[in-house]
Amino acid sequence: MDFSLADEKRWEAFWYAVTLTAPELLLVLGMCAVIIVPFFKRRSHKLPAATAVIALVVALLGAWSTLKGSSEPIFHGMLAIDPFSQMFKMLLIVFTIMIIGQWFVVRDPKSSKLDTPDFMCLLLGATFGMSIMASANNLLMIFLAMESASFPSFALAGFRKLTKKGTEGALKYVIFGAASSAVMIYGMSLVYGATGSLNLGEVAAAASTNMSPLLCVGLLGMFAGLAFKLSAVPLHFWCPDVFEGAPIEVTTYLSVASKGAAIVLLVRVAGAFGFEGSFPGIAAGIGILGGITATWGNLCAYHQTNIKRLLAYSSIGHAGYMIMAASLMAAGGDVSTEKIAGGIMFYLFIYMFMNLGAFTIAALIAQRTGSEDIRDYADLKTRSTSLAVFMLICLMSLFGMPGLGGFIAKIYLAISMDGAGLGSIMLVSVLFFNTLLSLFYYMRPVVIMFLRKDDQDRPAIVPEKPGWMMVCGCVIVLGITGVLPGVGEFTREHNTIVRTEVKQAAPVPTVTIDGKTEPLAQQIP
Amino acid sequence: MHFLILSLIFVPLLGGVACLFSTRQRAKHIALGTTILSMLISFVVAFAYYSSSAYAEHGAEVVQFFMASSWIDSINVEFRIGVDGLSLPLVLLTTVLSVLVVLASWNIDKATNAFMALYLFLLTGMVGVFVSLDLFLFYVFFEISLLPMYFLIGIWGGPRKEYAAIKFFIYTLVGSICLLIVMLGLYFYSSEAAGAAGNVWTMVDCGDGKLSLQSPKVQALFSTDGPHFVFAQWAFWLTLIAFLVKLPGVPFHTWLPDAHVEAPTPISMVLAGVLLKMGGYAMMRVTWPIFPEAAKMFWVCAATLGVIAIIYGALCAMAQTDWKKLVAYSSVSHMGYVTLGIAVMTKTGWDGAYYQMIGHGITSAMMFFMVGVVYERAHHREINRFGGLWLRWPEFGGWSLLCFFAGMGLPGLCGFIGEIMVLLGTFGAADAEHLKMLGSGSLTAVYTLGILAASGVILTAAYILWMFQRIYMGPDKPEYDDYQPINDRERVIMVVLGLGAVLFGLVPWLVFSMTTPTFDRIMALLGVA
Repeated sequence: MDFSLADEKRWEAFWYAVTLTAPELLLVLGMCAVIIVPFFKRRSHKLPAATAVIALVVALLGAWSTLKGSSEPIFHGMLAIDPFSQMFKMLLIVFTIMIIGQWFVVRDPKSSKLDTPDFMCLLLGATFGMSIMASANNLLMIFLAMESASFPSFALAGFRKLTKKGTEGALKYVIFGAASSAVMIYGMSLVYGATGSLNLGEVAAAASTNMSPLLCVGLLGMFAGLAFKLSAVPLHFWCPDVFEGAPIEVTTYLSVASKGAAIVLLVRVAGAFGFEGSFPGIAAGIGILGGITATWGNLCAYHQTNIKRLLAYSSIGHAGYMIMAASLMAAGGDVSTEKIAGGIMFYLFIYMFMNLGAFTIAALIAQRTGSEDIRDYADLKTRSTSLAVFMLICLMSLFGMPGLGGFIAKIYLAISMDGAGLGSIMLVSVLFFNTLLSLFYYMRPVVIMFLRKDDQDRPAIVPEKPGWMMVCGCVIVLGITGVLPGVGEFTREHNTIVRTEVKQAAPVPTVTIDGKTEPLAQQIP
Repeated sequence: MHFLILSLIFVPLLGGVACLFSTRQRAKHIALGTTILSMLISFVVAFAYYSSSAYAEHGAEVVQFFMASSWIDSINVEFRIGVDGLSLPLVLLTTVLSVLVVLASWNIDKATNAFMALYLFLLTGMVGVFVSLDLFLFYVFFEISLLPMYFLIGIWGGPRKEYAAIKFFIYTLVGSICLLIVMLGLYFYSSEAAGAAGNVWTMVDCGDGKLSLQSPKVQALFSTDGPHFVFAQWAFWLTLIAFLVKLPGVPFHTWLPDAHVEAPTPISMVLAGVLLKMGGYAMMRVTWPIFPEAAKMFWVCAATLGVIAIIYGALCAMAQTDWKKLVAYSSVSHMGYVTLGIAVMTKTGWDGAYYQMIGHGITSAMMFFMVGVVYERAHHREINRFGGLWLRWPEFGGWSLLCFFAGMGLPGLCGFIGEIMVLLGTFGAADAEHLKMLGSGSLTAVYTLGILAASGVILTAAYILWMFQRIYMGPDKPEYDDYQPINDRERVIMVVLGLGAVLFGLVPWLVFSMTTPTFDRIMALLGVA
């Protein structure tokens, strides 16, 4: 915003910027509405849920109407509203609506009706935080967005108040979250000290001229905070426990939305660097982190017997794949940032349906048998043929079997990694090697469902109709996107990332010692 | 006419879906009808192929019944199908065998509709592999055929089915991942070719002006002095591994005996008869024509792998006491000739390798069927517990003799032509011009490999005759009293396969009339005079 303009023009520009944040504003209004509606009708599940869905639909329209975004970051470079972020918000909101649907299908029938408004409010709050994460373009905004996404998530993770595992998971989540936030904000303060700016573009510009050790340490801290959100190794320990302890709709939500938002944020941060030049060090660092995350997640998943823990480790693996692709955003050179952004968005689009399907099936089975242990899936093919086949399709899509959406998503992700020479080849090889590793644990439920005899006479499972329809929908989407990927092409096309124009490098903070004025960064090793 | 090829892919698919929603008894009839229909379609294709004007002008050089429509535009993937001399014989083999396999699985009464549906999906994948001309599409079919096979072994298999199924699945997938890495490399690099609008996935020149991976402009990238020769070397090995796993070649063959032993008889037939051929076909379609310079560089390694497979497979077969495992190892040995024939890169070698695939498709399917017929009655496969079967079942013994002798490579039967032509092709590589192409020091290698491979013929005769002696010769045994006599359904399968073995032993023209022009073109690509 140019302050030399007349007041009228300034207001116009301000309002324009406000309209661009329509989805977030509408989500906040929705949160308020969800809290207020119980005053009109107490003890209702449906009213708060319906209110939340309406708010989300309106927010979806808001995101759709702002899909083009603005040509430059708004609010003094605080928020970047671009097709990339808005596309993610649309996916996120659609996903949240589906989560409410899943909650309706699989929620614990004994749960108190008084809890519903709280749940919806927290869900909308987390969605709000994640939308901001997708747009944050300033270190301060990044921190605020991550906190406002985290706090509702902490509460959601512990929503099953009376179970030990739920409480344990939530506590672990809070402690990990607090520690990594502390590291992150400490890192950000060091970054500010080294570059004199909180704006991502200016930080990157400063880094391209002077990559001081102080800045490196600061960036390391900052990425550590992001790594927590991404559940990247070695900050992944919270993930399986939280996923196991949380109600299944929250697990599904966190596995896709929370990681998706963090990935989008990572793309933005790495992209800001990539726009200002080539940062092979940062790219290699993130790429290695992604490779380790994927490999570690896939290896750990093999031991799991609880389906939620298995899918938790699988989600760590998938986050790793996307981190690997995002790493090249900072590489500069021949790398096409738009291809990567598009590839990741398509991946999230498919991943959303794969995970929703797999978790919903797990929930439907748990509803009938009360068990989340994959050993209790024995001979599912005769106990419920449709659920077994649907689970097979979801797992094979997660693995990347051709003919299903997951395969196309992996291919798009792999081909977006073009342009970094040997680095590209290595990342692609690691990606495919990991695909192979992941096969081992995706096949374990399949083996149990289809090949094992049921030795304990477990009962047949007749899933509830709405849940079954929902899973069926997910499977159909996976099939269609696998055969006709053009259907999901719109997610790849909205890949423009708005670039912060750095007019002049920020003044480097200086310090005067013994009469000599020197850049602050040089005084601190 | 391309709708014929299209229907070859989709008729089994639709039949499979129909089986899923039918009763058990009806599923068998649907499957039989579907496979007979696709067999007839493939006959029409073959007939039209010979009678077309394109065949009269160019022979089988040109891809016919060719169809291309855009599929995934953003990465240039096309739905591009068609047949040429390399694929048509294998398509025919697949469709004919598929009918016999349905007949052979008539006795399966455990979830028959699911069995037939999976089998028909498998058929879709197999035909799809042979008719796809786009590398991406090829890969999709290559992978899609895995999952049905996994379940067919895993659900209907023997006692160790779980282990065998997952071993098959993982081995093949390791190969597939290697192929996928090469595909990504081709995607990255092929767009650099002169005149390429984006990347190239097309495997063969289809005559529609679309740049293919075999065209000189793309080949320039992967030639010895091209910019991506190092990649071509890696790609050669990665694709070779991918297809050697499928073939299977030593040292990637260990999944095969397990899979065969555990698989039900009809699935063993289709596994040995068709699935293994996907490996050899893919080498001839992808590895050698796309990376010919790298293939020349590493020809000794590839040929040595082939010779090791011949000898090691034969020795392993000799050591088996399980009849089915013996037949499985004989497949490893026979497929070694395919690797060797392709690796020496002579026209005769390629003809022989290809003929070996067709011949083995007939004989191995028949051998597994013979084993299955006996196993169904005896409920064991211990070679040493049999003996004197011929006395009890002279008719069965006669057909078995024909079948095992065809596998052994007796002149006049289909196994002979492939083996002898591979050996001739190997020694033919000692030609001065050819040696120049293969590089210095090749003469010793050619003779050594040729002599070793020829000795494999003796080993083959040894294990087959010894096995035959232990099972069919000797005194009659009282336990055979309980055995049901051979029924008409089984007789039909034996007779059809047996006559096939004789026919292809006497009239090799049936295959070579299709393949020769195509192989001439590929030899020109490889730079072989």
